[in-house]
Amino acid sequence: MPEEKIIEVKNLSKEFKELKAVNQLNLTVFRGDVFGFLGPNGAGKSTTIRMLLSLINPSEGDIRIFEKSLKKERISILKRIGAIVEKPDFYGYLSAFKNLEILGKISGADVSRKRIMDVLELVGLDKRSGSKVKTFSHGMKQRLGLAQSLLHDPDLIILDEPTTGLDPQGMKEIRDLILHLSRDRQKTLFLSSHILHEVELVANRMIIINQGTTMVEGKVSELLNTSKMKVTFEVDDSDKAKSILSETGYTNDLESVINNTLIFNMDSEKIASLNKYFVENNINVSAVIPTRSLEEYFLKITEKVS
Amino acid sequence: MKKIILFLIIPVVCFAQSNKSDEILNLVKENFNKIKDYQVNVHIKVDVNFIKVPEGDATIYFKQPDKIKLKSEGFAMLPKEGINFSPLNFLTGDYTSIFDKEENVDDNPCYLIKVIPLGDKSDLILTNLWVDKKQYIIRKIESTTKSNGTFIIELNYDKDIKYPLPSSMVFSFNVQKMEIPVGVMGDADEINKTEEEPRRKSKATSGKVYVNYSDYKINIGLPDNIFEKEEK
Amino acid sequence: MITLINIELYKIFKKWRTYIGFLVIAVIVPVINFAMLAEGEKSLDFMTRNLQQSFVFVGNLLNGYLVSYFILISLAVHIPFLITLVAGDLLAGEATAGTYRILITRPVSRMNIISSKFIAGFIYTAFLVLWLAIMSLGIGMIIFGVGELIVVKSSGIIIFARNDVFWRFLGAYGFAILSMTVVTALAFLFSSLVENAIGPIISTMAIIIVFLIVSALQINFFRKIEPYLFTTYMSSWRLFFDDPVDYAALYKSIAILAGHIALFFGATVLIFKRKDILT
Repeated sequence: MPEEKIIEVKNLSKEFKELKAVNQLNLTVFRGDVFGFLGPNGAGKSTTIRMLLSLINPSEGDIRIFEKSLKKERISILKRIGAIVEKPDFYGYLSAFKNLEILGKISGADVSRKRIMDVLELVGLDKRSGSKVKTFSHGMKQRLGLAQSLLHDPDLIILDEPTTGLDPQGMKEIRDLILHLSRDRQKTLFLSSHILHEVELVANRMIIINQGTTMVEGKVSELLNTSKMKVTFEVDDSDKAKSILSETGYTNDLESVINNTLIFNMDSEKIASLNKYFVENNINVSAVIPTRSLEEYFLKITEKVS
Repeated sequence: MKKIILFLIIPVVCFAQSNKSDEILNLVKENFNKIKDYQVNVHIKVDVNFIKVPEGDATIYFKQPDKIKLKSEGFAMLPKEGINFSPLNFLTGDYTSIFDKEENVDDNPCYLIKVIPLGDKSDLILTNLWVDKKQYIIRKIESTTKSNGTFIIELNYDKDIKYPLPSSMVFSFNVQKMEIPVGVMGDADEINKTEEEPRRKSKATSGKVYVNYSDYKINIGLPDNIFEKEEK
Repeated sequence: MITLINIELYKIFKKWRTYIGFLVIAVIVPVINFAMLAEGEKSLDFMTRNLQQSFVFVGNLLNGYLVSYFILISLAVHIPFLITLVAGDLLAGEATAGTYRILITRPVSRMNIISSKFIAGFIYTAFLVLWLAIMSLGIGMIIFGVGELIVVKSSGIIIFARNDVFWRFLGAYGFAILSMTVVTALAFLFSSLVENAIGPIISTMAIIIVFLIVSALQINFFRKIEPYLFTTYMSSWRLFFDDPVDYAALYKSIAILAGHIALFFGATVLIFKRKDILT
């Protein structure tokens, strides 16, 4: 059975006066995806998200959401989308509760006190429901943004930089929420982020764009496998370690040595055997730290162009 | 000889005329002096160029010789010369009167008497009075003033009246210049249309005021305080 | 749609700046009344001076109606300003606050959003004018009572019977609501173009003031363009204080003002529907 395409973008372009912000972009998001939308600053991510949400008119191309044309069926589509676009801004002179109530009413959501308080509790703002939003910190507004996107129980949730301004605890909570929404509530999530590590931890499919065009698109696991890992070995005697390496193929993978730390750039399958090799040669390995990450890949890809 | 006779007769005739007019006027005054005071309800209709006023009701109080007061619950307006039609109004101070002729006013035979005030005090230059021959009431007044142009007062009386008080009056007048200050109310469509004195326009005004009198209460002993100026 | 309008009204009346207009009127009207208490007789005397040359009159001409009439004339520029304070913020305020994003991503048409905002703006306008009416007539009647209304025009003096005045004020204030809605629509249009409410407030007032000055000046060329300025028709509420009322001129003014409202609102819809939201 073919998977339902929740978002399908074809040849999407947006031109502002002198700048082509988005250039023939193509992407597909399937039902149940946690889709990572990545790119450096100015890559066109925000512009693309705004087009998905009909805030901006495309110059060219086609956007289909829930297999309907966004141009023609905007309202029925938006009913099923919850979103945060960039900085979550609210009516500062109204309380968190009131903001949600108003926005929910317009979206046709259940705006009973219970429902609103449930959603606020989900994002950890239930105790501040009556406070005016202008007194909120950025992190709190972020949470409220998330609450607003979930209130009407949408099928697709679009989050633009959802963890910006949050402390590590907050970031973890958001990550957990995203996973919960995906796994337990069968929501489809579209995340753009600069905190690539965060995306790596939750996304199953991703796209990296630069200068408005697709660089790479695919499953996170597959994409990451094509890259080598950076692995750090902490040993007790780096000189000895270096010397025993010289007779092996591992030498080629050695990138640098700093004090008792050896940094390799190698395939993941080799880690275990290298570790075994050190131990067999009486070199004590106190730590093996792989820093295999999307970040590396991301930098690599975007460097290519610039 | 004829010249001498003429020369003698003319002053005699003039004197006689003068005498006659004085006599008539004195009878008018006497007639009027039967009234010590009166109070009357009036209904006023103003039909004047450039002024629109709703028909209104008021009360006029009069006490000899010259106390007069206009009172109304709402707004009421009467021409100055018309509020007091007492003959004494026209016959105060020094004046000369001349008997002109006999003339009918609305089928009522009248004496036409000309009154010319002497000296500078009066605003009136010349007044023509038509006095009813039988009843010695004034039926018509035509007066030329220094400051306010000419006006005509026509007085109508009921058939059998005890006192010389009219049942209705028509006051007609013609004022050469009536200046209307525009600026205060800021008439937006017209403001500043004229070259000099943009805040006023001079207009010639004419019109009539119709007054109906009813419910006379005569010689009831009106106290003086009615005529005092109201404290606002 | 009703929900949207209610929400917009709620947002308007939750902002303190909305109450500036009501407060200003609540202060200005009593102040004018007390000024009239002190100086009103003199003004009235001046107005009726020449009448007094030829006539004797009595009556309470310095009454609540006269003061209300005077207030209507005086506030030709002040009330529009108070309108722009709110109308200019209706759209620009969302841009400033960054709330366009959460608003326009709701499942409602942009047409509904903009219509609901405009209607809410219109309701505010109507409330403000009604407040002016209540304060003017109310305080005027309490302090001065009622009476005949004297209106001095260049065409002459009209005195309206006391029971012939109130309906004229109803008409005049009703017309004022229409006039002020033109101001609302213009400020609303400017509000759709910018991201800060100051711009619409200043530009709307600038247009009104310039047009009023042009109308007042004596130059021939200006006289020719006067019929094309909407401000010329905004003072047509005075037509109610005429005898007889020139209904043809009145209907013409109403049509022209309504036309301007449609024009300004139509332009706003066109702009807003196609606008790229970048804030």
